[in-house]
Amino acid sequence: MAYMSDDDYDYLFKVVLIGDSGVGKSNLLSRFTKNEFSLESKSTIGVEFAARSIQVSEKIVKAQIWDTAGQERYRAITSAYYRGAVGALVIYDVTRNATFENLERWLKELRDHTDSNAVIMLVGNKADLRHLRVVSTEDGKALAERENTFFMETSALESMNVDHAFTEVLTEIFHVVSRKALVAGDAVAVLPKGQTISVSMEDEVSALKKKVGCC
Amino acid sequence: MFSRLASDAEMEKRRADEFEPGPASPLKPVDRFGFVKQDQNNSLEAKNRPTNEVEREERRIRKWRKMIGVGGSDWKHYVRRKPHVVRRRIRKGIPDCLRGLVWQLISGSRGLLLMNPGVYEQLVIYETSASELDIIRDISRTFPSHVFFQQRHGPGQRSLYNVLKAYSVYDRDVGYVQGMGFLAGLLLLYMSEEDAFWLLVALLKGAVHAPMEGLYQVGLPLVQQYLFQFEQLVKEHLPKLGQHFSEEMINPSMYASGSDISVTKRFMTPGPPFVWHVLGTGVKIVFQVGLALLTVCQNNLLKLAFEKLIHALRNFPEEALDPEKLLPLAFSIKVFVTYSISF
Repeated sequence: MAYMSDDDYDYLFKVVLIGDSGVGKSNLLSRFTKNEFSLESKSTIGVEFAARSIQVSEKIVKAQIWDTAGQERYRAITSAYYRGAVGALVIYDVTRNATFENLERWLKELRDHTDSNAVIMLVGNKADLRHLRVVSTEDGKALAERENTFFMETSALESMNVDHAFTEVLTEIFHVVSRKALVAGDAVAVLPKGQTISVSMEDEVSALKKKVGCC
Repeated sequence: MFSRLASDAEMEKRRADEFEPGPASPLKPVDRFGFVKQDQNNSLEAKNRPTNEVEREERRIRKWRKMIGVGGSDWKHYVRRKPHVVRRRIRKGIPDCLRGLVWQLISGSRGLLLMNPGVYEQLVIYETSASELDIIRDISRTFPSHVFFQQRHGPGQRSLYNVLKAYSVYDRDVGYVQGMGFLAGLLLLYMSEEDAFWLLVALLKGAVHAPMEGLYQVGLPLVQQYLFQFEQLVKEHLPKLGQHFSEEMINPSMYASGSDISVTKRFMTPGPPFVWHVLGTGVKIVFQVGLALLTVCQNNLLKLAFEKLIHALRNFPEEALDPEKLLPLAFSIKVFVTYSISF
């Protein structure tokens, strides 16, 4: 898989990364989009952005990923970025229980701002820190089941499951979109190339709808 | 001028050398401000500064010293007598070695310090803050590429923690907000902990200027206001680009936020650039520099679509950031913002 974000793609999906400060959102993003990890990364102030394309069922799916500041005060700015998102990774740190306990608040916040069909995954990051772990995999899974979301444990540092997590979310979005197209009586193939897909059944205008990416 | 925002590398190296360097951190090349160089060849800093520039700098320093007087004794008098001269000289840039003192004089923080003996110590030593863990988590994530702040539990990190903790106790309503560290960290490159603390208080609470606490209060009202105003200014001054931004659904929160020390790279969120708000010529200069940068890069930016556009807005080319060219252009842009405070 190439790490370049090509301009040539079939689908463009907007995905957000949310979760408490310091859980590793920015490193998950840089691991996925650039295959980079930094122990000395700066805290994210406001929002950051990166993109990467992957292949799903012979289609090129491009993820446009927004990485947000974790501190509550910044939600005044970051919550605007939830709009139009069709996928979200809600991240916690398996070595810090508070970040796990806050997941429900993050999920509520997300559901208040995004469409009900948005694909959500709970991600327990820093799984490499085995001796410091305080949130068990079972607890993570149980919460994901209760909240009806996907679940994955990752390590941005060891590059464990990072591609897997993003790919699963993007593939699921792709399926939601395909199903929706079928329900609507359309063949997937006729969806306009390069247009951002909104998974909303009401066809609400996605924030990025006009983002036809060819140039 | 902007590139002189940070402290002198030599000073920082000396400061860092006084403490045992961590075994895992061999001496890496730093730029003149103390930041570890990412790319050693591709920088304006790589060239030695020409002699005439050094001489000019020395002349400037002499003028400034005269204006300030010993320990700032003549400052108030001079400002009252010749405000236009002071304003002009600030625009040209405060010499790096005097910046710490001048900032304290301009902001009124010197007065606060003198009126509140022992208060800082009390806040640091005896009070506890609800934000302590949040602050600790961000300490190593603040200027990780600067020599002064790199060493774990080193003097830089300790001072930064103390200042932030003290502020979070001093103003419990605001507490600690991410981004404050970059502001406090910048101040610490120029002055002592206690001076940096009172300067932070003077900036946020408004000692002689309008308070800036709205940058950090719940809802970040001042950030929102600045972002909105800048968007309007772009539409007004650079209508083509403004139109392009709307079509590409770009707004200032996507490119004008961040934590970089350089005002020219990110200029809106509560990071260091806001030192300018009070320590220079008011927030107007932040808008002017932002507009000047967009003007310089306009032709290129107009060609780019969303993603490349965001990338370009977050990584302005080195030549566009040359203060010798950028600042005259910035000052020539007429910006009317009614809330703006002027020196």
